[in-house]
Amino acid sequence: MSNPTLNDVTTEELMVFAASKEVHDNEVALIGTGLPMIAAYLAKATHAPNTVLIFESGVMDTRPRHIATGVGDFPLVNRAAKTSTLFDALSLLQLGEIDLGFLGAAEIDQYGNINTTVIGPYEHPKVRLPGSGGANDIASLAGRVVVIARHKRRTFPERVNYLTTPGFLRGAREREKAGLRGEGPRRVITNLGVFGFDEDTKRMKVVSLHPEVSPEQVQENTQFQMLFNDGETPVTEIPPPDILQIIRELDKDRIYIGKE
Amino acid sequence: MPEIQTAEKRGLHYTETEKVIPLHEAVSLVRNGAHMCFSGFAHSLAPMAFVREMIRQKVSELEITAMGEAWVVDMLSGAGALRAVRFSNFMFEGWGRCRNFSREVEEGRLRVEDYSHFGITNRFFASSIGLPFMPTKVIMGTDIYRIRSIEGEKKFHDFEDPFTGEKVLLVPSVRPDFAIIHASRADRNGNTQLIGISPNAELIAKASEKVIVTVEEIVEEDVIRRDPSHTILPSFLVDAVVRAPYGAHPAGMYRYYDYDPEHIDLYVEASRSPESFVAYLDEYVHGVQDETEYLQKIGLPRLLELRADPYFGYSLKVRGIDE
Repeated sequence: MSNPTLNDVTTEELMVFAASKEVHDNEVALIGTGLPMIAAYLAKATHAPNTVLIFESGVMDTRPRHIATGVGDFPLVNRAAKTSTLFDALSLLQLGEIDLGFLGAAEIDQYGNINTTVIGPYEHPKVRLPGSGGANDIASLAGRVVVIARHKRRTFPERVNYLTTPGFLRGAREREKAGLRGEGPRRVITNLGVFGFDEDTKRMKVVSLHPEVSPEQVQENTQFQMLFNDGETPVTEIPPPDILQIIRELDKDRIYIGKE
Repeated sequence: MPEIQTAEKRGLHYTETEKVIPLHEAVSLVRNGAHMCFSGFAHSLAPMAFVREMIRQKVSELEITAMGEAWVVDMLSGAGALRAVRFSNFMFEGWGRCRNFSREVEEGRLRVEDYSHFGITNRFFASSIGLPFMPTKVIMGTDIYRIRSIEGEKKFHDFEDPFTGEKVLLVPSVRPDFAIIHASRADRNGNTQLIGISPNAELIAKASEKVIVTVEEIVEEDVIRRDPSHTILPSFLVDAVVRAPYGAHPAGMYRYYDYDPEHIDLYVEASRSPESFVAYLDEYVHGVQDETEYLQKIGLPRLLELRADPYFGYSLKVRGIDE
């Protein structure tokens, strides 16, 4: 296969490759299913073989033979190094053992705060969402956090409707003031690009845009003012053939990585 | 809190160590208005045989404290059996939101209080080791902290470590009337084993007044004693044991049977409206006399397909895996 072009890869495959680069070798990562799991296993198969993956269900250092559809799914249990409890797995965050956490987001704001609780008033919501789960715990305590989100105007508001999971709260030094330990969100990876946070203001900022995505398109799909670096905006790297092959091997039925 | 109707108070006498009772009798111990917690994690470990029997016996006005026991809470929500829920996350992984639960909250019929997994788990943990509260380092700075519903002012207490001055959040212990746990196997005395993950079983059992265990199989005491490292609860922590094979269906049990994606499809589709969910309950819960009839309805061919592969611990057939 010659070098893939945009026509050869799905947006999800771009996102998985970008997310895998956020996993460093010799780390302990607490992850969820779907794209984060594919990304983490891609990292393990390439540049981060010694990274240990643990799940909030209490399974640790997993080596699944078949794809898991949930964080407590049986393929994770089979051949894991240890099975434990929810309390034990999340205690590791408070202990400071977890370097990296992956999160999803129904709504994310300019400071990286996430809502997965309600749309509308709390007592009588328009939409009741699933709730925090381990997300608040991961974002409060993990060394750093990577968020995977769908990029739509509706889901990128200036302020989240309900602050379930802390990003930088209302800006610089707010996390420390609140008593939170981790560094907070390092990256937000969406279907439009890869984003980070401005060092001084802690507001969301473009790191790279996916091929053929324009800055205007990003702004149109974002309610707050997205920050850009001066000069040309980098383009997210398309996964090379060997990487693409691993991604497709990890998700044979293309449950998470989109249809070809 | 309502008086707990124990077997003793109901004039039932079992031998000192014999704790095995029929499902309908175990469920009849639960009074309307009871405060309960349950085992379960995503599509596994849910005590669904017990829950279906609760719905048949029309137990209602329940208060639940939960982490993520989506199956139990969604079915009881759909049956209109709940009045209040503390929890951190309900979701049918791979299928989306829990529709019955969400609808009850959206239409103002069910009061909830949100926590994170670690926040609510610490409430159980405090109770499980006999302490009134636990300090934690989560939830601070968010709306989970600010917005208080069922618990009011007593949801959290801000505190500074008296030794270092570090900010911590105190969560109070929680003590439900009943913990209902589905496990792999137990002996007649109540020594209970669970194979695979045990996300919350031990914690909620120790945190609760009464513990009822339903199991896939009741085994000789010797089977337990040969492999004590799988024991999650020794007999003195268990009040009653119920034999409930396939008792987690449509969820699964590691090394016994897989979750049933076809039945989950059917359930999730039915949960889209109150009318279609009433029809589901009429067919699969009220329409059968007991769990044996329920399993007959699911059918032997399907139950055989769900059976776990002895090496992997799940069904290759159901997952469409060719090994």
